[in-house]
Amino acid sequence: MMNDGNVTLTLTPAADSPRPLVLTPGQDLRGYLAALLGRAFLFFLTFSSVLAVMLILVFVVIRSLGFLSSSSLMEFLASQSWRPTADPPVFGALAIIVGSLYVSLAALVFAVPLGILAAVFLSDMVSWKVRNVVKPIVEILAAIPSVAYGFFAVLVLAPWLQREFGFSTGTNALNASLILAVMALPTIISVAEDSISALGRELREASYSCGATRMETLLRVVIPAAHSGIIAAVVLGMMRAIGETMVVWMASGNAPQIPHPWWDLAQSVRTLTATIAGEMGEAPETSLHRGALFAMGVLLLLMTLGMNIVSEYFLARAKKAGGKA
Amino acid sequence: MKLRFRGQLDRVFTIATGLSVVLLTLVLLAILGPMVYRGSSAVFFQGTVEFRKMQKNLFGRGDEQALHAEVAETEKVRQQVYEMIDAFKKGVDVEALSEQVRQIHRQFGQDLRDRNLPAGEYTRLRELTRQIRDKLEAAFRSQDINEIKRLVGEVLKDESNPQLKGTSAEKLFAIARQFLQAAGQIDLGKHQEYALALQEAEGILFHSEALPGLLGPRPGEPPAPLVMLRYGATRWDQAQTLLDRFLWVEHWVEEKPGEPLVLQRKPRAELFPEPLRPLFTYVEQNAGKMLHPRRTVYWQFLRDDNVNSHYFGGIGPEILGTMLITVVGMLFVIPLGIISAAYLVECASDGWTMRIIRMGINTLAGVPSIVFGLFGLAFFVLFLFPLLGFAPRPCILAASMTLAVLTLPVMIRASEEAIRSVPATYKEGSLALGASRFHTFIAVTFPAALPGILTGVILSLSRIAGETAPILFTGAVSLGAVPRSLFDPTRTLSYGSYDMAVGDRLGMMVPHNQYGMVVTLVLLILILNGAAIMLRTRVFKKLRGH
Repeated sequence: MMNDGNVTLTLTPAADSPRPLVLTPGQDLRGYLAALLGRAFLFFLTFSSVLAVMLILVFVVIRSLGFLSSSSLMEFLASQSWRPTADPPVFGALAIIVGSLYVSLAALVFAVPLGILAAVFLSDMVSWKVRNVVKPIVEILAAIPSVAYGFFAVLVLAPWLQREFGFSTGTNALNASLILAVMALPTIISVAEDSISALGRELREASYSCGATRMETLLRVVIPAAHSGIIAAVVLGMMRAIGETMVVWMASGNAPQIPHPWWDLAQSVRTLTATIAGEMGEAPETSLHRGALFAMGVLLLLMTLGMNIVSEYFLARAKKAGGKA
Repeated sequence: MKLRFRGQLDRVFTIATGLSVVLLTLVLLAILGPMVYRGSSAVFFQGTVEFRKMQKNLFGRGDEQALHAEVAETEKVRQQVYEMIDAFKKGVDVEALSEQVRQIHRQFGQDLRDRNLPAGEYTRLRELTRQIRDKLEAAFRSQDINEIKRLVGEVLKDESNPQLKGTSAEKLFAIARQFLQAAGQIDLGKHQEYALALQEAEGILFHSEALPGLLGPRPGEPPAPLVMLRYGATRWDQAQTLLDRFLWVEHWVEEKPGEPLVLQRKPRAELFPEPLRPLFTYVEQNAGKMLHPRRTVYWQFLRDDNVNSHYFGGIGPEILGTMLITVVGMLFVIPLGIISAAYLVECASDGWTMRIIRMGINTLAGVPSIVFGLFGLAFFVLFLFPLLGFAPRPCILAASMTLAVLTLPVMIRASEEAIRSVPATYKEGSLALGASRFHTFIAVTFPAALPGILTGVILSLSRIAGETAPILFTGAVSLGAVPRSLFDPTRTLSYGSYDMAVGDRLGMMVPHNQYGMVVTLVLLILILNGAAIMLRTRVFKKLRGH
C-alpha cells in the first residue's frame, strides 16, 4: 500500500479487524451504556476502601453501644479502676488510656530527635549512593513484623534491662517505649526526609551565601521551613505507636496503673490495644466486658482518625511549602 | 575564634547525624543478630543419640540397625551410672528401703496364707516378720551407727530361723546386710541432705516429674505419658546445660547483710560422701560417650508438626497456616487493589468523590491493627458468616478477609504509583492506533506497570504474613489440628511466635524452637521485602533509561 502511495479509506473494516469503524446508533448507545456500567462497577470496587472504613466505624461502634448505653461514660473515661470481672464490674479505663498515651509519648521522646537527625543525614549529608545503602536499613526496620519486635522485647531486652539497671521487672514502660520508638522511626524518618529534601537547593544556597554553616542552615532555615512535614512525621509516628498491639502487649507489663511519679518509666503500664488483645478471648459474647473492649476500640479509632486528619493537614501544607520553595 | 567554634559545632552536628544512622544500624543488628543466631540452631545443631531415638520413634526417620548399635554402645557406658547410683541409694534412700521392706512383709503374709498354715503358726510367723520390719525401719530412720548395728544385729539373729529359710522373707536379711555396709560409709547426720541432693541429681540425670533429664529414663522403666519425658537431652547444647546443673549447685547467698544476694556455685559432688564422688567425674568425662553428639541438619523442622507443645518437632503446620491465610488474603487484595489503583489513575477526575476515596484509603492505612481484629470479629465472623449461613466462628477465611482489608492501602498505593509511572507516550501511542481506553490499559499500561505492581503484591504479602493482632480473634489458634477447610482456624507463624514467647511455659525450655519459629517468620518477610526492593530498583533504572 505504502509503495503505491495510494491510500484508500473505506467504511468497511478489514477482514481481520475486530470492530467496525462506524457504529449504528443502537451500537453506539449500547457501547456507551456498557462503558458507563463498567465505570460504575469499577467505581464501586474503588469505593470499597471507603466502604471498609465506614463498615469498621459502624460495626465497632454498634458492638460498643450496649456498653455505652448501659454504663456511665464518665466512669469509663475518668475512673482508674478496671475490674471487668468483679461483681459488680467496674470499667474505668483512665489508667489504660493514660498508659497508651504514656508509652507512645515516651517513644516519641526517643524517636523524634533520632529520626530528624537521620532524616537530615539522608537528605543533606550524604551522596545518593550512600543514601541508597542506608535507606534499606530503615525499610528493613519497618518490615520486621511487630510480633518479632515483641519477641525481642520480652526475651532479650527485658532480661537485659532487669540485669543492667536492676529494675524489679524488665517488662515495663521503658521497654515498650524503646521498642515503639524503633518501630516509629522508619515512618518519622521517611516522612521527615521527604519534606526536608523537597525544599530544594535555593533555600539552602541562599543561607550558605549569607555565611551560615551547614548546621546553622539546617537548624535555622531548612528545618523551620519544613516544619509542617516534620510535624506530620511526628503525628504519623505517634499513630504507629499508639495503634501498635503486640509489642505493648508483650513488653509493657500490663498493669493498669498510672506511673507515679510520672517520669518513672520503670513501672509497668497497660495500653488500650493490649487490653483489647488480652481480654477479648475471656470476655463472653454480649457481655458488658466485651462492649467495654469495643468501646476502647472506638476510642482508638477516634484517636487515630483525629491524628490522621492532623497529619493530612500538615502534609498538604508541607506539599504547598515544598512547591513554593 | 568564633568562626572556629562554629566550624567545630558544625562538625559535631554532622557527626551526630551520622551517629544516629549508625545507632539505627546497631539496633537492627542487635535485634536480628541474636535472633538469627539462636533461631538457626533449630536446624543446625549437635544432635545426640536421644535425638535420633526420638526421630525414629516419632517420625520414623533414620536407620534402625545403626540406631540399635549406637544405643547399645551408649547404654554400655551408662550402665555404670545406674549401678553407682543404685549402690549408693541402698544406704541413703531410706524411704525406698522402708517401702521395699514393707512390700516384702506383705508378700510374706500372702505366701503364708497360700500355704494354709494352722492359725497359731501363721500368727507367730507373721509377728516375727513384723518385728523384723519394725526394727529395720527403726534402723533406717536412725542416725546413730551404734544403734543401727544393734538393730540390724538383732534382725540378723533370725536369719538362721529354719521357718524363714527359702521364703520370701529371706530378702529382708540381704537388705539389712547391705544397709549395714552402706551405713558404715556415710555420714548419717547428713542423711536428709544426701537424700535431697540425690533426688535432684537423679532428676537431672534421668527425669523429674515435669522435666526430661540428661540421659532419659532408665532402661526398663515404663514409658512416661508425656512424650518429652521419654527422651534425654536431644541436643548437645541442652546436654551441656543439664550437665552443668548436674555438676554444680547454685544458690543465692547474702554475703553482707543489706547487700543484694550473690550467686555462688559449688560442686554438687561436695554434698555427697566419698563413695559417690566418682559418679560425678564419671558423668563429666563420659557425657560424650553416653550421648554421642553429632552434627545434625534438621531441615524437617520446617515440615514437621510439633510434639508436646513445641518441645520436639517443627513448625510445619504454622508455615502452612501462614501460607494459607496469605494466599487467600491475596486473592481478595490483588484484584481489588489493582482495579482501585487503575480507576484512581485512569478514570478519576479531581472531584470530591476522589478526595473522599483518597481520604478513605489514608484512613484505612492508619487504623490500628487491633481495631481490624475487632472489625473482623464483629463484621465477618459475627455478622457476615451467619448471614451467609456459615458457622460464626473464627476461621482462615475470616482472618484472610480481615487482613485483606488491612493491607488494601499498601496494595493500592504501590499499584497506583506503578501505573502512574508508565510514560504517557505508551498510552498515547495505543490510543492513537484506535484502541479503546480499556484495551489500552489491558494491553499496554498494565504490562508496563506489572513489575511495579508486583512490588506492591510482595509488600502486601509480607504485611499479611507478619500481622498478628488482626487474626487474634478471627482465625489464629496456638495449638490445634491442621485445618481441613477454609472454615477451620489455623496455627500461624506470627501467633505461634507470640505464644512461644509469652503464653507457653514449655517454650522457655526450648529456646531453639522459640527462636526458630520467629526467625522463620522474620526471614520469610525480609526475603519478600528484599525481593520487593530489588524489583523496585530495577524498575526504577529501566524507567530512568527511557
